[in-house]
Amino acid sequence: MRHDLKRLLDAAAAAVPGAEWLGLRRRRGVQRLYMARDGVLEQAVETDDQGVMLEAFFQGQFGYAATQDLSPEGIARAASRALTAAKAAAGKGVHAFSLDVRPATKLVWETPRARLSAPAADAVFGFLSGACTALKVGDKIIQTAAMVESGTYEYDIVSTNGADISQTLHYLGTSMQAIARDGAIVQRRSAFGPRGLTRQGGWELLDTSALLDKATSVGEEAVELVSAENCPSDTRTLVLMPDQMMLQIHESVGHPLEVDRMLGDERNFAGFTFVKLADVGSFQYGSELMNISYDPTVRGELASYGADEIGNLARKEFLIKDGVLVKALGSLESQARSGVPGVANQRASDWNRPPIDRMANLNLEPGSSSFKDIIAGVQKGVLMRTNRSWSIDDYRNKFQFGCEYGTLIENGKLTRTVRDPNYRGVSSSFWRNLSAVGDASTFEFFGTPNCGKGEPNQVIFVGHASPVCAFNDVEVFGGAK
Amino acid sequence: MSGAADFKTQFDAIVKLALGELQGDEALSLTFDAERSAFMRFNNCKVRQTGFVDQAYVGMKFFRGAKTYRLQVGLSGDQAADAATVADAISRARVASALLPDDPYQVRPTSADTSDASYSGKLLADDAIPQKVLGPAAGLDFTGIYSQGTICRGAANSAGARHWFSTDTFLVDYSAWLPNGRAVKSSYAGRDFVDADYAARLSATRMALENLHKPEVALKPGAYRAFVTADALNELITFFSWNGLGERGLRQGESAYLALKEGRESMSPLFSLTQDFTLGVEPAFNGEGELAADTLELIKGGKLANTLVSSRSAKQYGIASNAATAWEGVRSPAIGSGALPEADALKALGTGVYVSNFHYLNWSDTASARVTGMTRFSCLWVENGQVVGPIKDMRWDESLYAMLGSKLEAVTKERHLIVESATYEARQVGGCLLPGLLVNGLTFTL
Repeated sequence: MRHDLKRLLDAAAAAVPGAEWLGLRRRRGVQRLYMARDGVLEQAVETDDQGVMLEAFFQGQFGYAATQDLSPEGIARAASRALTAAKAAAGKGVHAFSLDVRPATKLVWETPRARLSAPAADAVFGFLSGACTALKVGDKIIQTAAMVESGTYEYDIVSTNGADISQTLHYLGTSMQAIARDGAIVQRRSAFGPRGLTRQGGWELLDTSALLDKATSVGEEAVELVSAENCPSDTRTLVLMPDQMMLQIHESVGHPLEVDRMLGDERNFAGFTFVKLADVGSFQYGSELMNISYDPTVRGELASYGADEIGNLARKEFLIKDGVLVKALGSLESQARSGVPGVANQRASDWNRPPIDRMANLNLEPGSSSFKDIIAGVQKGVLMRTNRSWSIDDYRNKFQFGCEYGTLIENGKLTRTVRDPNYRGVSSSFWRNLSAVGDASTFEFFGTPNCGKGEPNQVIFVGHASPVCAFNDVEVFGGAK
Repeated sequence: MSGAADFKTQFDAIVKLALGELQGDEALSLTFDAERSAFMRFNNCKVRQTGFVDQAYVGMKFFRGAKTYRLQVGLSGDQAADAATVADAISRARVASALLPDDPYQVRPTSADTSDASYSGKLLADDAIPQKVLGPAAGLDFTGIYSQGTICRGAANSAGARHWFSTDTFLVDYSAWLPNGRAVKSSYAGRDFVDADYAARLSATRMALENLHKPEVALKPGAYRAFVTADALNELITFFSWNGLGERGLRQGESAYLALKEGRESMSPLFSLTQDFTLGVEPAFNGEGELAADTLELIKGGKLANTLVSSRSAKQYGIASNAATAWEGVRSPAIGSGALPEADALKALGTGVYVSNFHYLNWSDTASARVTGMTRFSCLWVENGQVVGPIKDMRWDESLYAMLGSKLEAVTKERHLIVESATYEARQVGGCLLPGLLVNGLTFTL
């Protein structure tokens, strides 16, 4: 049963009559994780935690205090400390905020689920064991691993100006990987990358039959990779599958469009961005085929929600339309500071961290090309699947990404498998070379549950959806010392 | 809860309660992680976000027969409520573990080691933080975070192990920026906040900014001599843990150092790496209540000397444990010093890049121990031992067998203690002792 937050808010208000406003954000997270390696159940873990972040407002400045003590006395103490923080910083802040950045939203929201009840535990262990068996397609496989994680997050907000929000997020994720070795060549292949198959929903997401089929193909491809040739080093057309596009969107579109980066908040840690506030509304980010949406309404995508964690109602909005930057990832606070239009994206990793500008679901909208037509249109190229390496500069420009599995494209046909496929480029020119965008039949979505940012540091769920895409004139290369 | 003493009382009570709940052949390892922290994030020498966080967690590894189940629960600080939380968790573990398959590599707790280390400090008053931290930086475009408070770590098990570690620390993790977009990164950390020491650190930052007024130098891709500072090397140190020197990863193909283990590759005779708890920045006990040796040589003279072996790997592979953590990462790493006086670094570099900081490193080809990353902040182009100006940031991509092997020309005599600054989920403890490295031919690619 959820705590009576309004009663706790009353206790806080009574403790700090000098506060101009108080907000109380409660979060509870319950997770379970089972992981098997080589068929042996190695981890069976559950976590359960809840806490509250009390926010106090004083002369244009917010201060916070976060606590796991949800007694009225504990909340009153937290309120007092939050007000101390706000008063100490009043007049020294980056912006004199108004309470417009804490709307009085009323909302109840929950992840839709088709199957609410969990399978019997032995069925989960049976799946993990079966997945390891399926991954082990031959003697060259030196490690198999499979994991199932599930969880529920409850987010509640109440405030003295009338906000009353209750959101419940349910998720389930599966990960499977095989490592193959032949002499000095070692290759890892996974099902859409570590935790890529993490989605919102219920136990219907544990489709064991389809997952076991996938496990077999993952094992076979790991073995295939150890005898594959190295990816060539030259410049050619790059075709990216959705399980690599999610990383490409995340690093070279999502993070650059965060307004707190444009404002310099992240300069000391995660970095700046090459995008400037003045670019919003006119900057040609990519080719005319590029349409990027912020869409927290996609059923099942990992970062769907009804409102962000300052209470701003979420809805689908285009950030890049026909290649032009029209809006950025700026919350109500960032919009007040910057004057540029934004979205509902002020989110926190947990009750013990203050919300900041984040991605949510950030998606590349489908185009009109079939997969067959995309491949047929490439004379010299390489198709890459599944991210395995990611690095980008602190202005989000010079990137280098690596994938698990590559296939050469020669004269309009997929030909030979290549190992250790990597590519590098510069964000602003890379997206202008977007030459084909797949249609809805190529569109898939994946989760990125480990997006790191912020001081103090925060890791958060984001989601990305994309069709298959092609980019011209990309520098690609292989592995080896 | 108000400080280390209260957290210790809470830990003792939880341990007593949890161990008293065990039945039959059940066993338990227990960890305790708590902090009482203040955070102030700042941008352009103004407060962005500020507040306080109190948190405490107990982790339990529950053994019943050959079954093992782990839990982590948050604690409220109310003794009765927390007792109920822990007892409920043990009840759930008892029910859940009955459904688990047997774990052939289960290692029930046997260690009865004990340790107790507490370090108190002089931190800033809560209401003085903005003025004390931002006041002396007036005039700088000053961005970063201030954190302070008590951090506690505890471990215990049903075999009798009891460990406690607490420390009061502060950290100003900052960068100072010029209008041209160049910046100097620095920090001020310790247990006692001393205004004069902080002012001296800021003064050094102001001086370092002077070099960044010079015109920017754009380099072309290619191999350049490079002096890699201890701060830059700090970004690389995690690569001995992530796909690193853990026994399981080496056995199962995840490690980047398989070729080192098998003698197909080596690092420079100048390079050594040791796990060194004498640095005093984190406890030597692990979550099983096992106490590691003060020092463990991992790479000596460029060759693999030891791997990190947890008790689970020890059982699985029939070798001796060295009390590594479950994920077998390096704690308190120290890279051995060399003969190059730091004062002579620019002269020894001659013409090349002075690398102040790296950014966003990742394995680009794990099997070849190849890492890619960026230069960041105040990296400088040097000609004939003289600073010419800041470089336009460059991407690099290099095998550690080259950077720390065939291309490693010298290691500095001086080493710097760099404390852990990460705050994911909690303020982390730890740190490393690092020299600077002179590398003949760091490969810049973009």
